[in-house]
Amino acid sequence: MGLLKQNDYADVRSVGIPRALLYHRYGTLWEAFFRELGREVVLSRETDRALVDEGSALSVDECCLASKAYLGHAASLVGACDALFVPSMGNLGRHLGFCTKFQALPDLVENTLRDRNVRVASCLVDVTEEHAPMREAFLDLASRFGASPREAKRAWKTASHTQERADRAAAGAQERLLASLGSLQGSERPLAILLVAHPYLAHDSYLGGSVTDPLERMGATVLYADEADRERALKASFDFSTTMPWVVNRELIGAIMLLHEHIDGIVLVSAFPCGPDSMTDDAIMRCIQGKPILNLTIDAQSGTAGLETRIESFVDILRYQKKGGYVHDRH
Amino acid sequence: MTDTDDTASERGGSASTGRSRACDGATTSAEGESGIGADVENLLGHADGSDDTLRARIALQMERKRPPRLVLPRPRPKRDRHARTRVAFLRYSYYDIVFKFFVEHVLDADYLPLPEPTKRTVELGSRNSSDSVCAPFKHILGDYLEALELGADVLVQFAGPCRLGYYGELQESILRDMGYEFEMLNFATVTGKPLTEYIEVCKKKVNPNLSVPHGVRGMLIAFQMIEYLDEAQDFYLAHAGFEAERGSFDRALAAYHADMRTVVNEYDLMDAHKRGMAALRALEVRVPVRPLRVGVVGEYFTAADPRSNLGLERKLLDMGVEVHRMLNMTNRNLRYHEKNLRAGISDYVRYDMGPTSSMTIAATLKYAQEGFDGVVHLKSSGCTPEVDCIPVLQQVSHDTGMPILYLSYDSQTSDTGLDTRLEAFYDMLAMKKERTAS
Repeated sequence: MGLLKQNDYADVRSVGIPRALLYHRYGTLWEAFFRELGREVVLSRETDRALVDEGSALSVDECCLASKAYLGHAASLVGACDALFVPSMGNLGRHLGFCTKFQALPDLVENTLRDRNVRVASCLVDVTEEHAPMREAFLDLASRFGASPREAKRAWKTASHTQERADRAAAGAQERLLASLGSLQGSERPLAILLVAHPYLAHDSYLGGSVTDPLERMGATVLYADEADRERALKASFDFSTTMPWVVNRELIGAIMLLHEHIDGIVLVSAFPCGPDSMTDDAIMRCIQGKPILNLTIDAQSGTAGLETRIESFVDILRYQKKGGYVHDRH
Repeated sequence: MTDTDDTASERGGSASTGRSRACDGATTSAEGESGIGADVENLLGHADGSDDTLRARIALQMERKRPPRLVLPRPRPKRDRHARTRVAFLRYSYYDIVFKFFVEHVLDADYLPLPEPTKRTVELGSRNSSDSVCAPFKHILGDYLEALELGADVLVQFAGPCRLGYYGELQESILRDMGYEFEMLNFATVTGKPLTEYIEVCKKKVNPNLSVPHGVRGMLIAFQMIEYLDEAQDFYLAHAGFEAERGSFDRALAAYHADMRTVVNEYDLMDAHKRGMAALRALEVRVPVRPLRVGVVGEYFTAADPRSNLGLERKLLDMGVEVHRMLNMTNRNLRYHEKNLRAGISDYVRYDMGPTSSMTIAATLKYAQEGFDGVVHLKSSGCTPEVDCIPVLQQVSHDTGMPILYLSYDSQTSDTGLDTRLEAFYDMLAMKKERTAS
């Protein structure tokens, strides 16, 4: 296969990146990588109703909201760039997998948008089956874009460092926020709520904003589970579960374990119908005790009004709880 | 429910969570279903069947009664060294024959046979599962609950590269929280590790005295047994639709399976297989000049397990159709070669899209190229990898002109709904065939 695919992306001048799904985890790296290779990066616009509607129309009904939104983003880039960048993300190792959706994404996009003549540039990250970790996948990708081995290494180095710095900065900011919360006492201290959601929900203002906005409006401080120290969180998750297959879910659960003492409540948000979350939400609700947990599911049809009332009630419960009130239904 | 368009309406129906009390938002309206695991004080999932069921639920367990851990460590119960362990598997088509052989001749333990699954099986499983988890999880949890009621000491679970890889641990956690005591032989704990680890975990969980040489020999026989059983099934699917005497193929296949259950070594196995195949081949068939040929593809459990797909294959056979199904343990497990399978479908996909995706697409393309009249794609509702296959299958169907029926199963799927859709599909295929004949 190596011979077949040499240089086949060399003619791609502008790379389109859908601002959805794993963009919210690796976007910094991807953008920096293609810029280093001298390519123009075209990002799709922020998620909005029209993109979600377009994506839903293109998707099989049973797909999750986030993947429907992704297809909307992808479709919006056709014609606006020479090729879309859609990697196949299998896993980063044993029990460090991604949802199979991320593995299937390049083929899903190509088959869905075939009659629009979409061109997809891709690479495979699969450590357990193909011994292809992220670095190797991107070095290979760079050479397909016509870069020399030296240029490829430099692009990877710059891109991965940029991502690491961004992740560290986010984690650092959250650490400081936690510390400042800790220094406040009693009624001065705002409610600290841990938002546990895949980054593509938590950091998408349209999909996740319906949860974070009301929380912040009510004066709560929102901490993001995906902005905790990922390495420590991942390690902690193995105390929770030995066989959980998904790296992102692991980091989220690990973050709950690390931050549990510092928070007043947890808001657990899933896209409907999320495969991994269909199992881990149950596990979290049943096995993580000591703090109130609100589990919300977001889908394409429903508006945000219902969510808002629920979030408000939840914050009321937490306030009452904090004052020493007792709301537990004992019956 | 058998329609891909119907997912939304399913969301209310199956929501009752029997082991927990429910509360929606701030209103603490407790649903009085204590039953199993009454000490679970979580307040979860509203059960009034409204559309909001999945949208919000709340857990208010303020007292920490357990460490944050899915399966709690516990002292190993002292076991009588000489007592034999009763091992139960999940139900999966006719492969219980192999599971039995594996338990008796590889693990050297007692096999606990499960009776035919009933409506109660899936009810038990659904009631104790999270609502949005895939249907096989619910079926298997139901199997385990019945196995524990019947006295199983050990439950066996496989591993897979999708949600299946997490079934075992989550099921163990749920069953333990319900108060059951058992060992779980969960192969997900050793996937990707050397064979010695597999042997160690079998020794630890089932039988510390199991003999490795004996076990290896048994394993080889078990593999051969899988191939034989699948061969007989393939023959049955291709011919039973045209049986001259109604029920003759079912009887012959049942006799063959009964024979296979008594096998203790490779010689018995060969004899039983020869006898069974001869009996099947001897049956009279009346094949029409141009019979309808239909391929069955899809997700591992739903496409191959009659109780998961409500006996779809028998329904097709009853319509006088020749049925083919590439997906079975022989092709998906024993002889599986992901890359080579994918090479044949490189016009459509570049990557492995999930556990059974390449086989689903390759089989569909093969059936189309061989001039089959249609393909039925089966999956449990919300099965991500198989959902992602659909746009690819649509392209195959578009390019080849072969119709594909998409069926999505959950625990609410009704027999009559399925019949209606199958009959409509059959009529369409038959009409199409007639048109091309004239």
